[in-house]
Amino acid sequence: MKKRFLLAVVLIMTLIIAACSDGTANEVEKNQGDKKEEAKSGGRLLLGTTAAPTLFNPYYSTDTSSSTIEGFIFSGLVTVDTDFNPEGDLAESWEFSDDGLTWTFKLRENVKWHDGEDFTADDVVFSYNIPLHEDYIGPRGLPFEIIEEVNKVDDYTVEIILSEPYAPFITITAQFEILPEHILGDVPIADLGKQAFNTKEPIGTGPFKFTEWKEGEYIQLDAFEDYFKGKPKLESIIYKIVPDTNTLMAQLQVGDINLAGISPQYIETAKKLEEQGKVEVSTGDSNAFEYIGYNLRNDLFKDKEVRQALTHAIDKDAIVQAILDGAGTVAHGPGSPANWAFNPDMPEFEYNPELAKKKLEEAGWTPGADGVLEKDGKKFEFVLKTTSANEIRQQIAEVVQQQWSEIGVKVSIELLEWSAYVEQTSPPLWNFDAIVAGWSIGSDPDPTWFWHTSEIENGLNYNGFSNARVDELLSKNTQISDLEERKRIIAEADAIVAEEQPNTFLYYVQGSLAKSPTLHGPEFNAANTYYKIHEWYFD
Amino acid sequence: MASYIVRRILYAIPLLFLITIISFGMMKMAPGDPTALMMDPMIKKENLVAYQEAYGLNDNVLVQYVRWLGNMVQGNFGESLIRQGVPISDLITARLPNTLLLMLVSSFIAFLISIPLGVISATKRNSLTDYSITFVSFLGIATPNFWIGLVLIMVFSVNLGWFPTGGVSTLGEPFSIWDRIHHLILPALVLATADMAGLTRYSRSSMLDVLRQDYIRTAKANGFKNSTVIFKHGFRNGLIPIITILGLMLPSFIGGSVIIESIFAWPGIGLLFVEAAFQRDYPVIMAVVVIAATLVVVGNLLADILYAVFDPRIEY
Repeated sequence: MKKRFLLAVVLIMTLIIAACSDGTANEVEKNQGDKKEEAKSGGRLLLGTTAAPTLFNPYYSTDTSSSTIEGFIFSGLVTVDTDFNPEGDLAESWEFSDDGLTWTFKLRENVKWHDGEDFTADDVVFSYNIPLHEDYIGPRGLPFEIIEEVNKVDDYTVEIILSEPYAPFITITAQFEILPEHILGDVPIADLGKQAFNTKEPIGTGPFKFTEWKEGEYIQLDAFEDYFKGKPKLESIIYKIVPDTNTLMAQLQVGDINLAGISPQYIETAKKLEEQGKVEVSTGDSNAFEYIGYNLRNDLFKDKEVRQALTHAIDKDAIVQAILDGAGTVAHGPGSPANWAFNPDMPEFEYNPELAKKKLEEAGWTPGADGVLEKDGKKFEFVLKTTSANEIRQQIAEVVQQQWSEIGVKVSIELLEWSAYVEQTSPPLWNFDAIVAGWSIGSDPDPTWFWHTSEIENGLNYNGFSNARVDELLSKNTQISDLEERKRIIAEADAIVAEEQPNTFLYYVQGSLAKSPTLHGPEFNAANTYYKIHEWYFD
Repeated sequence: MASYIVRRILYAIPLLFLITIISFGMMKMAPGDPTALMMDPMIKKENLVAYQEAYGLNDNVLVQYVRWLGNMVQGNFGESLIRQGVPISDLITARLPNTLLLMLVSSFIAFLISIPLGVISATKRNSLTDYSITFVSFLGIATPNFWIGLVLIMVFSVNLGWFPTGGVSTLGEPFSIWDRIHHLILPALVLATADMAGLTRYSRSSMLDVLRQDYIRTAKANGFKNSTVIFKHGFRNGLIPIITILGLMLPSFIGGSVIIESIFAWPGIGLLFVEAAFQRDYPVIMAVVVIAATLVVVGNLLADILYAVFDPRIEY
């Protein structure tokens, strides 16, 4: 009887193993020699990510993994090069009228969808009308809000009329990928987010076509022979889901992954692997900044001098060196050096605890019996919130807590799980004194989101920052299509923000990319990691 | 016996019901909702509200629960809120077999290794062997699972290259049993270690208990060989309490699989649960909770039935 039991167990195990198979057993077996040869020259790019994608439709997805894969499958009218300059993709060329309201795109001819159909102006008209539709339930309404109408002039010319001049139109809106009208044209817009197209059979015009989504494991994309910029050299892309970063690093090390972004905590490991010749690491400024944000609704932070004093008390350089291993650039104001609109001459409040104490004393804060600053019987103490989802921010909170205690400011740290953190810090609660946080800027440098008074109520201006001159400049910035003039305006606004210090700007984030030494093409840049991916290849 | 089983199943229904109420309540108490992830300047407030309306996220919690329960009772887990349009049953059927396989194999490994160790430990009580096994057991209890997992990956996958670094099978290779087993060994072993230590201790004390019984002394006095006494008279009786442990181990296997699946990139329901929890994908969270709870209830029921099978003295 015992034997039979054992047999049953083995049988069940075998059955389950067989049930897990994906039916590839029927494929012709290749001999071992072939396989080795293929691995060397075959050009299968293994990408690694810790977060699984959600769906492949740019008008409905919001996560990075999905948008990366969308970039392989679909194409937009324009894309950006490695310096955020717009570059024609499906559009061959474009021009705008003198009032900045009418944009005319000349489309490429002979572009094929993955199912062999021709790409035409109808597809553009269809796609851009999705977020404009009254039944649209999706996260991408805002970039299309300024569009008045989208007109087909002929099969390969599209005219887009805006309700007001809007500079980011070309770098944000025109980058949205185009969907096939011949497949989705008849779907009611309200149901578009739930189509099987988005998860099982997306059809695009991009360099790689969707082949398979193996639940929880990987997404496979194969080269599209008729890609309009030429057949990609890589045969396929496997987008692997590896939830644990330590495992991801191990996979990178043994070549189970060829390319992965490296988060700051793992730079040291990546550098070690580079010394051993197992990977190559490229780094650069990414388009983001980290900061300590003050809630200006709180009386403690109403005085500009006090905010500047708090900044004087923080040794940003030590934070960058000790917590980031030097993988960051000390910041004094908003923006990012990776961005063309960056202002390198903003007011600076250098590390100087003595000056911090002096400024606070001038503002009426004097040390109490326990060393904590007091003013009118009120102690200078508050809660610094950040998310447990980000180890670096936790460490920053600890260092800052220590450094502030040295000038008599008492801070307690509260760590919140990501969703809880977002809910507490964002509108309409703004339930925080100060936060350790960061912003990523996006492909257009428009700072309106962070500092304009109109963004307080519902937007990203969590601080509640309001400055008349900044409002004026920011309202102007998106109306100007001339880059140099726009740059001057953004620079002036950023300098005022830096002077006002609604945030202590800590550092500009550095990004890193690790790749297999045999892979040619990828190079770290903040704008477009997969720029010209159809030209990448393996030795 | 049959009436006992029916009774147990009937008891299980209110229990499962209670579990869903508590989980649903806890889940809803957690701050944020699926739209919290979409914190993005490109979202129009109206669209966000329309989304919440479309999925009934603004309704009263009770209304939401009753709606969910109504669908669940009809066997409909609903659709994912994040991966719109994807039926949750698709996600579960793709992933559950992987988790079951992992759990089955690792409990098999755990029993295969720890019961003999426990028996040896008991029969050679207070010897060097006993102390060594005890020491290793406690080390196993004290060491976090994920750490063992990472160390094994570093040693056996990265440095020695004996095992793959994760996943269920080699990418792009045709299906083969050996390939599957090759991928299964490390995660199953690590998941097994969590319970191996405890199991060894249980079987040791259970055996010790049995070996002190009168009938063992009688058997010895009758001049039976020592090995016959231990295995024929002792072992079978010592095994009975272990069956209870089998039932109790199930929850820890499910909990453990959440961590192990994450480290070994094993596409099971544990991993699905973690993703869904962070995304506040409510119907997916609830689906996994129901499945895990059902597994535990069924596991305990099986253990109780087996108990009766192995111990003729027990009648229901």
